[in-house]
Amino acid sequence: MGRYTAVTSRIVDELKRILDPARVVTDPEKLAPYAHDEVSEAAYVRMPDVVVKPNTTAEVSDILQLANRENIPVTPRGAGTGLSAGCVPMYGGIVLSLENMNRVIEVDTRNLFMVVEPGVTTGEVQKIAREQGLLYAGDPCSSESSQIGGNLAENAGGNKAVKYGTTSKHVYGLEVVMPTGEIVTTGGKCVKDVTGYDLVHLFVGSEGTLGVITKAWLKLLPLPKFRVDLLAPFDDMQKAIEVVPRVMTESGIVPTAVEFMDSLSIRAAEMYLNSSLPHSDAAAYLIIELEGSSEEQVEAEYEAIGNLCIESGALEVYVADNLATQDRIWKARKCVAEALRVVSPVYCMEDITVPTSEIPELLWSISQISKELDVKIPAFGHAGDGNIHATLLREGMDDATWETVKEKALHEMYTATYQHGGNLSGEHGIGAKRLVPLERFVDRAQIQVIKSIKAALDPNLILNPGKIVHMD
Amino acid sequence: MEYSGVLVVGEQRGGSVHSVTYELLARGRTLADKLGVGLACVVIGHELEAFGREIVERGADIVYLIDDPCLEWFIPRRYSAELAALIEQIRPEIVLAAATTAGRTLMPHVAAKLDTGLTADCTGLDIDDKERLLLQTRPAIGGNVMATIKTPSARPQMATVRPKSARPLPRDLGRQGEIVVRAAACDDAQCAGECLLGFVRDTSQDVSVQDAEIVVAGGKGLKSRDNFRMVEELAGLLGAAVGATRDVVDLGWIGYPHQIGLSGKTVSPRLYVAIGLSGTIQHLAGMQTSETIVAINKDKDAQIFRVADYGIVGDLFEVVPELIDKIRAAKNARLCGAR
Amino acid sequence: MNLFVLLKQVPGTSNVKMDEKTGTMVRTDHENVINPLDENALEAALELKRSIDGSKVTVVSMGPPPASRALKEAIAMGADEAHLLCHRGFAGSDTLATARALALAIEHVAGRELGPSDLVLCGERATDGETGQVGPMISAMLDIAVATYVRGIEVKEDHVVVERVVEEGFERVRLPLPALVTVVKDINQPGFPTLAGKLAAKAAPVPLLTPDDLGLTRDTVGLSGSPTRVVQVFRPKFARDTVLRQQDSGGAAVDSLVDLLIEKEVI
Repeated sequence: MGRYTAVTSRIVDELKRILDPARVVTDPEKLAPYAHDEVSEAAYVRMPDVVVKPNTTAEVSDILQLANRENIPVTPRGAGTGLSAGCVPMYGGIVLSLENMNRVIEVDTRNLFMVVEPGVTTGEVQKIAREQGLLYAGDPCSSESSQIGGNLAENAGGNKAVKYGTTSKHVYGLEVVMPTGEIVTTGGKCVKDVTGYDLVHLFVGSEGTLGVITKAWLKLLPLPKFRVDLLAPFDDMQKAIEVVPRVMTESGIVPTAVEFMDSLSIRAAEMYLNSSLPHSDAAAYLIIELEGSSEEQVEAEYEAIGNLCIESGALEVYVADNLATQDRIWKARKCVAEALRVVSPVYCMEDITVPTSEIPELLWSISQISKELDVKIPAFGHAGDGNIHATLLREGMDDATWETVKEKALHEMYTATYQHGGNLSGEHGIGAKRLVPLERFVDRAQIQVIKSIKAALDPNLILNPGKIVHMD
Repeated sequence: MEYSGVLVVGEQRGGSVHSVTYELLARGRTLADKLGVGLACVVIGHELEAFGREIVERGADIVYLIDDPCLEWFIPRRYSAELAALIEQIRPEIVLAAATTAGRTLMPHVAAKLDTGLTADCTGLDIDDKERLLLQTRPAIGGNVMATIKTPSARPQMATVRPKSARPLPRDLGRQGEIVVRAAACDDAQCAGECLLGFVRDTSQDVSVQDAEIVVAGGKGLKSRDNFRMVEELAGLLGAAVGATRDVVDLGWIGYPHQIGLSGKTVSPRLYVAIGLSGTIQHLAGMQTSETIVAINKDKDAQIFRVADYGIVGDLFEVVPELIDKIRAAKNARLCGAR
Repeated sequence: MNLFVLLKQVPGTSNVKMDEKTGTMVRTDHENVINPLDENALEAALELKRSIDGSKVTVVSMGPPPASRALKEAIAMGADEAHLLCHRGFAGSDTLATARALALAIEHVAGRELGPSDLVLCGERATDGETGQVGPMISAMLDIAVATYVRGIEVKEDHVVVERVVEEGFERVRLPLPALVTVVKDINQPGFPTLAGKLAAKAAPVPLLTPDDLGLTRDTVGLSGSPTRVVQVFRPKFARDTVLRQQDSGGAAVDSLVDLLIEKEVI
């Protein structure tokens, strides 16, 4: 920690010269909300010394120049809905909250682009697109509150990644303020663009360690006119998961989403929503979303996939083709993270990712780990892309037991993940939370490249230190 | 006979006149005075004799108490037959009832019998000076706009009125009026077999937001059921009832009895504190007659600020904890001062 | 038992916006759904059908041609047949004219006057109009017993016992059949249509009914059969002198609020 300089009153005064003093926060009570994200563990809570809320790119640049000169750590922050402590100021210092930079600069309906500042919520981006008959396909579960800047920094995934890919697929240009204060614009509205390195996708997913995104060019797509969601309960998780590769290959149909919930997740959701879900005694739910431009096409597709589910042992297949029934299905799926928190206020939500064909094996391994260590590990997530949110529940364990069980369970789970050709994180990111496992499980040469890039772009290591890799 | 005069349909509950009756009388009095006609009030039930006097004192010129053992409980067909018979006898041009569970059942039943129009859940009533017609204003299209509705030729013109959307007139002890008590006029053979088997008073449903002096209400801006506890904490501190928007009730953060707005309750407290709610017309319809309205919302353009007396534009997660602390401090200071 | 369920199609979202300049509705989302409380009514009917052998669920709606989607959805959930009152003549009907048409339609599809094995169900109110008047009006027109705000139905020999939610508690009411009940959300949890149900619904006919079919003359239907008229639609104006303050780190905004609360004697 000795690397950095403390934030003194002189620094605060300088910040107040850069920004309107009302946007420089030092009152400890008001700093508290900026000390954590959605990770519920105390180890990932750190108070910033000061929170600044710039309104413009120029202000961001001035703040970074000051921090770089004075050697003060800066942690950029969106809505704080992350799940890897990526926006937590592990070394204190300045939290750079982009909440005020929330303007929609342009909706270009001729080229199908939207240009936005980072503080616009994902939900707002989706809504504005929808109002134009267009689709912004990025759709993390937190979309109602998460901000687009955070989505980009973390390369958020979500429910529609099966068909549309993750956030990185929807961004064609960025304005970024470098740790040294220079403002870089890379990419834009050109669909093809190989002019130099693909810097856009270097910054996307860099978790705010290489630069601060201050503007983004987002690609929009035509809004599919028809949508159907299928809910298929199964009495056996393996049967449910085995349908997924068949849906993806045999049917010749690319669904928009293929999600699953295990029995613990189903029951937690039912309790949380205080309403009964169909076949809630099932071992697994599969939720499949289909979209298309004609009603006939979507009908034919849901019939084919629905029959495939029944052949594969689904207890029933429910069809939701209107907003009311669709909302009921997705409410159940989207509330799981919150619902598990009600079951166990302290939990550890994981984000492992494997090739889809390996999901059944991996889920079996997780159930073994759960039995062996006597810890409940409900699993839910994105069956269509192999991204599984296995979540360790602390429930009544004491501190020491929880730490031991958690460490063992995570180690075994990651080991199993790598045995099945998987990786640590599909969409939540490494942040501060998975820094140690990254060093243990990821290839050394790859880590070295990450470190070289970091050192080259942020020579004083002031931007979001303590994330992804240790630089010391 | 021409249709003339205003009739309000009172309600009795548990052996007394329900206060909504007096609210209706205040509404009815204004309309009757504008038209220069008399104001009648009818109460249907059993053992009503004692009720007549106060109804007169609260503005009625004539009171009909239709009093019969068979009318002790609200059976829609029975009540409807009696009310329809009275209307055909006295031929009022306007009939008002409360938009309670009883009023909202009885009035459409009567309107259908009399083949006339009925407007539900009015929040505003007035007289069109030129045509002497009743102007019935209510939220429409999902509560996003207000609509004014007339009944040009069918008579009587009928409306149900939101409870708590008007204040009763003070009692005028010297006021004179006629009180007519009579038994059920209609043969109840057709209602044979239709009866109340039991009534369970349920206080868990009765959170009495409607009777509270202070209401603290929260909306979707609270983001989670956990955060909603902030609203409850602030309400506890102010001795207030907890209110909620429809979204919040739909999300299950709190029960339906707390819902304020068109599809919930209408309240008119001394102080209404709105937290993290944007103020759909739906919701505004349920609280805009509150004496003082305070709103906390991060969107400066939120509609709630249009009806607020005092608004703070800011993050409720900053404002509300600060407010709770400062109210606590102010209360402590007061306690210490008193000692 | 013959169960008649009245369905209304309503906008799928409550986010209907108004164009400030023209005063007209801007619908950002054209999709309609079954009125949520009517879904509860349908579910209640389907539950009764499942528990009483030989029961039949008939759904009836009034609306433009796309309303047949709601009826097909009802068939997919398990309703046996569906009828749509669909004709330009019905347009502009207020609650009385709507009730008149639906009351006739119920007897028309039943092919007779209602008898002791008939129960009509609908939602207590629709989310768009929020009047809750059509149900009780129909019961008056058919001269059958009615119970509103119902959250539970038990079928007995020749009558039903229902539980009503009222202001201060719950009433248990005995209703002779035929009867009409309007239901509230508490009564049940609507189900989802199944794949098999959807496929069956696709093939099922939804016969259309016109005013002529019901013997309605011009002056008893649509706008001309409606005693009420909407004379003005407006955005309400609120006359309050709002003091609006920005939240500030100095705490001044909250301080003035606390002062206001003290002045109003609430603390």
